Amino acid sequence: MSESRVLVIDTNREQGRSVGAVLEFVDFTPECWTDVDALRAQKTRPREYAAIVIGDLGDQADAFYAWLKRDPQFPFILLLPEQAEAPHGLHPDEHAVLQMPIRHQQLSELMQRVSVKRMDSDAERALSRLGPSGESQAIQRVRGMIDQVAPFDTTVLITGESGTGKEVAARRIHALSRRANKPFVAVNCGAIPADLLESELFGHEKGAFTGAVAQRRGRFELAEGGTLFLDEIGDMSLPMQVKILRVLQERSFERVGGNETRQCDVRIIAATHRDLESRIVSGDFREDLFYRLNVFPVEMPRLADRIADLPRLVDDLIASLQADGRGDVALSDDAVRALQQYAWPGNVRELANLVERLSVLHPGQVVGMEELPGRYQPADTGVTESLIGATAAHQSATQPARAAQPSLPESGIDLRDHIASVEMALIRQALDASNGVVAHAAQLLHLRRTTLVEKLRKYDLGR
Amino acid sequence: MTLIDRFATEGDSMDTFRTIVVDDHRAFRTLAGALLEDHPAIDLIAFGESGEEAIELCERHKPDLLLIDISMPRMGGLQASRLIKAQDNPPHIVIVSNFDDAGHREHAAASGADNFIGKAEFMEGVDRVVQQLGGSTARR
Repeated sequence: MSESRVLVIDTNREQGRSVGAVLEFVDFTPECWTDVDALRAQKTRPREYAAIVIGDLGDQADAFYAWLKRDPQFPFILLLPEQAEAPHGLHPDEHAVLQMPIRHQQLSELMQRVSVKRMDSDAERALSRLGPSGESQAIQRVRGMIDQVAPFDTTVLITGESGTGKEVAARRIHALSRRANKPFVAVNCGAIPADLLESELFGHEKGAFTGAVAQRRGRFELAEGGTLFLDEIGDMSLPMQVKILRVLQERSFERVGGNETRQCDVRIIAATHRDLESRIVSGDFREDLFYRLNVFPVEMPRLADRIADLPRLVDDLIASLQADGRGDVALSDDAVRALQQYAWPGNVRELANLVERLSVLHPGQVVGMEELPGRYQPADTGVTESLIGATAAHQSATQPARAAQPSLPESGIDLRDHIASVEMALIRQALDASNGVVAHAAQLLHLRRTTLVEKLRKYDLGR
Repeated sequence: MTLIDRFATEGDSMDTFRTIVVDDHRAFRTLAGALLEDHPAIDLIAFGESGEEAIELCERHKPDLLLIDISMPRMGGLQASRLIKAQDNPPHIVIVSNFDDAGHREHAAASGADNFIGKAEFMEGVDRVVQQLGGSTARR
């Protein structure tokens, strides 16, 4: 949730304020309280905060901890020395003791870890409830494959478009495996800069590179005994692919800057939205790594290919928001029917974002079709219609004998190539009509300039 | 000259990205405003102080570019990014974060944001994004 509020409770007002000042400096929003009764009267819940800093509570300690424990999901606790001896049953993983006087570096590093931990647990909670659910044949087949492969240590390669729920599937495999009580560690290889990925995966020794001020375990070590989910592995650089291949072959690795070879017992699940076989052809992905990963392939279906599941998915997403106290909304029947007409290029993730948006903008209400963003409304099919119309116009210009409606050749058609060629043709025409001025062409195509520039790059139309 | 180059060197109204900056800290908004004021590709059209305001501003102004702080009260940049990507014609979203590490970058990517910038290298990050979008970073 990337929440910035940090609760500081301390009867010593000056001490609380000084902690608050440092927190503010590292981009958090401190709320400093000296009185527990006043805090309780606010009716905020502990879990609303990114962290809670507990200083001198005087005779209010019992009242404060009663408030804290009322919420089973309270956030990470930072204890000032006055409280260090009285953790009131707090688990060691749930708190840390801050040394006084507070130093910026110490608090910054701690809050950095707290921030990631909070985002991890929010994401995990949201993902763990989400299936993959649905009753369509496509998703039942996926669930069947997951159930089949989960008990073994087989390496799994999950493919599918962005947003189809590849991490959800990976978590289910882990949850149904004998490793379920060990860690599930995910890493998005595409989101981490190439020069950081090696130390993130394998850890580093102190002094291994500038900034490596302390030894650090990597995600292979964090996942020991459990499952490591290598998401977007198709985006991984070739040098890193070599290193991953070695771990898969030898089950061992070294930390960056270290000489000691470490054995690892980690099940690998990899995922990508890319076509790895075409990346092998283009020289961007190693064939030997592909065969090591592709032991048991699972392909996640597009939402459009299991659109019958949509009402159930909407219900599940709303139930998940309710369970987390993050929102409540309902969709009218006509809204659900409208959503079933949509193409869902962003798949289940796009649906989840839409439901979350509706729950924030229309809390506790029933959302009708007309309250959906325009692109989800069947009436707003301007782009699609004009594209079909343009296709027809293009065809009728080149093949005047054919009907205006595009028809499917007997031998079938590569739809993606066809759509791409239509798109390229229209972009070229728009550029010609606007003398190559991209901003004007974008207006003709009802696109943002940035979107058109990205398409020019995609189709290599820049030259 | 490529079309993208031409796009980058067109007149004032052609080569700027209509940009909104959202951060709960006034000091950062002020700093970002001063730093971006003369940027050749940035046309600052609004500032916001919260995730909720970011949604409303994006809906109203339909900007090209949103620079949004990851860490804000109640609704941070990650949730705002997810919700704004569900609007019609969403902007290119850049998560701006005080902490720059793998974990923060991964969560930014998962939110649907298009880029990530650490606050410590804010201007270099903005230039990278602008170049990626085909805009100019050459100061006049």
